[in-house]
Amino acid sequence: MTSDPGGKVASPAVGSPPRKRSLRGGGPLSGDEFRELAGFADASASAPGTMRPGALRGSAQGRDLDSLAHTLFLRIYPVIAIVVLATQIGIAWVNYTDSLRLYTERANLLVTLTAHSIARPDWSERPDVYTAQIQALTLDPAFQFVRAWNAAGGLVMSVGEIPAGRGLELIRASSTVTAAGRAESAGRLTLGLSTEALRRNAEKQALLALGATLILMLAFVLTLHANVRKHVLAPLKRLLLAMREVEHKRWSLVEFDGAVRASNEIDVISSAFNRMVEGLRAGDEAKQLLAELEQAHAKLADANNQVMESIGYARRIQTSVLPDRAALAGAGIDVAVLWEPLHQVGGDYFWLERLDDLSIVVVADCTGHGVPGAFITLIVATALDRLLHERGLRSPAEILTALDEMVRVQLRQDGRGAESDDGLDCGVCIWDPAARRLSFAGAGLALTSITEAGLTRIRGARHGLGYPRHGSTRFTTEDIILDVAPGDTFYLMTDGLTDQMAPPGAQRRLLGHRGVSDILVRSRDEELRRQISILEAELVAYRGLESRRDDMTLVAFRPIRPTSPDAAEDNR
Amino acid sequence: MDRIQIPATPRSPEVDFDFAAGRFRLAGESYPEDAAAFFGPLLQALRTYLAASSTDPIVFEVALVYFNSSSAKGLMNLFMPLEDAAEAGRSVTIRWLHAEGDETIAEAGEDFASDFTHARFDLVETAQTGH
Repeated sequence: MTSDPGGKVASPAVGSPPRKRSLRGGGPLSGDEFRELAGFADASASAPGTMRPGALRGSAQGRDLDSLAHTLFLRIYPVIAIVVLATQIGIAWVNYTDSLRLYTERANLLVTLTAHSIARPDWSERPDVYTAQIQALTLDPAFQFVRAWNAAGGLVMSVGEIPAGRGLELIRASSTVTAAGRAESAGRLTLGLSTEALRRNAEKQALLALGATLILMLAFVLTLHANVRKHVLAPLKRLLLAMREVEHKRWSLVEFDGAVRASNEIDVISSAFNRMVEGLRAGDEAKQLLAELEQAHAKLADANNQVMESIGYARRIQTSVLPDRAALAGAGIDVAVLWEPLHQVGGDYFWLERLDDLSIVVVADCTGHGVPGAFITLIVATALDRLLHERGLRSPAEILTALDEMVRVQLRQDGRGAESDDGLDCGVCIWDPAARRLSFAGAGLALTSITEAGLTRIRGARHGLGYPRHGSTRFTTEDIILDVAPGDTFYLMTDGLTDQMAPPGAQRRLLGHRGVSDILVRSRDEELRRQISILEAELVAYRGLESRRDDMTLVAFRPIRPTSPDAAEDNR
Repeated sequence: MDRIQIPATPRSPEVDFDFAAGRFRLAGESYPEDAAAFFGPLLQALRTYLAASSTDPIVFEVALVYFNSSSAKGLMNLFMPLEDAAEAGRSVTIRWLHAEGDETIAEAGEDFASDFTHARFDLVETAQTGH
């Protein structure tokens, strides 16, 4: 038991005394410590703290595990063998000495009894007295010899032989023959009993003890091997295989079925291992997902940045196409503008220009919003520029008709197989300050006015401009001429302004023209920019958390009261 | 033809085209990013259905609370073959539903109604909901 001090499979708890830790409560062991303690020296990794892939392979093949059974056998078996052998020998010795004592007592008893029964003063002279008595001694199974001597020392009778040289196996007992009432000896009797049977018995016992020990050894080896294999080695092997899988990030759990029944300790370790694997797997998956997510997020952010930068650039272009908001300053007309695309750029477009003392106000709502909408606005801007400056059109209806044609030519909607199904709603106002008259034409975009008489909405033509049409029907409409009184205010707005959806839960409907009109009427006495701010705030309040649906544009204008009262009077 | 049923999304309406029963329905809000892509397949299916000679009456119900101008165009495209079918003698009814007091939708319905001469176009006011 004192051999093999550096046992490979020394228990971890006692195998590392300097650490003074046990498996329970001693804090976690690092991979290296564990391998060292567990005897998997060949599994140690080159870099501390990390596992070399395949490090557990040798162990998993059971090389080290087999030595566990070997060591257990070497350490436990000699103890048991020696104890069993010593016990057997002890029992045999006690038995032997007991039997020897009994033999001696028997010999003494026999010889004393016989001596008494033949004791008479003249016993040696009368063979009829002693012959039968002494002959009777031969009946003892262990009888060897008997000798009788008379008082003078002469041999009276001798039965049996005194064996030569085997004195050890002989018990001698002697008794003096003393007649009753006399003090002196009348002779002597010596009996010899053989202890050969005793010896044979002892030998048999020794053989039995040896045989029992051998059988015990065999039974022990077989039982130990079977049990260690079933309860320790097989479960450990599975555990190691699982560890090896886990080492390669294949998350396998340890389970024991009928053939393999782990001992309690290994069962506990396996459960702990399984929990650890679950934890590792969850952690690994989470880490992987997080990494993927971060990657996707970074890509998305990158793409978004690019798009946003690009759209930011597009917005600069679009705003540079829009007119200066003060373009009509000094033209005798107050103007305020709200231009709010849904996504940086949009399909809403407006134009303000003073031409030959006429003030021109155009608002257009092109199909779509965002970048697609913005593309159409550029076509409209170019077309409008040509109509106003090259063709010199000054009638809103004519401008709309010409714009319709140009847009359709531009988008090739005038022939067959048009790819574009786009168009625009448009409203055009031309203010003639000399005549104090406003002419308006609309294509799907109404003119709202607030006058002394109240709010009026002049719708113009229902259809928008552009869009492929059946046949070649031209867009036609008429100019609507309005006489303007001082303080009259006019609004051109796109439907994004009226299309404000109420949040869910409330009445699910659009604010609509009526809603917007109500706000405008309530704030009719405000200065225009202030009125627009109020409107904006009300829109935000109406839609709540609901998102906006479309680009929105509002151009409000109010001809300034003429400085000369006469002029005003003329135009009433 | 197989019935087309598409659940509503925040940006597109619920679609139920029951060809066998001759009942069609659009409901909810319609402002898809690409209206042509949304309405194109519906128009295709409607045209195929109408091309198969049948005289079963058609009821087309629209119960939208909001649609953008591209969707309006999409609706117009759906209505045109229906008007053509009505002109050819088929019974076609458009039911345009709008909530009581919802001027915007009612007005849009009136605009659409003026495009029909053969098909029947009913403006149906429904009780206010959502209060």
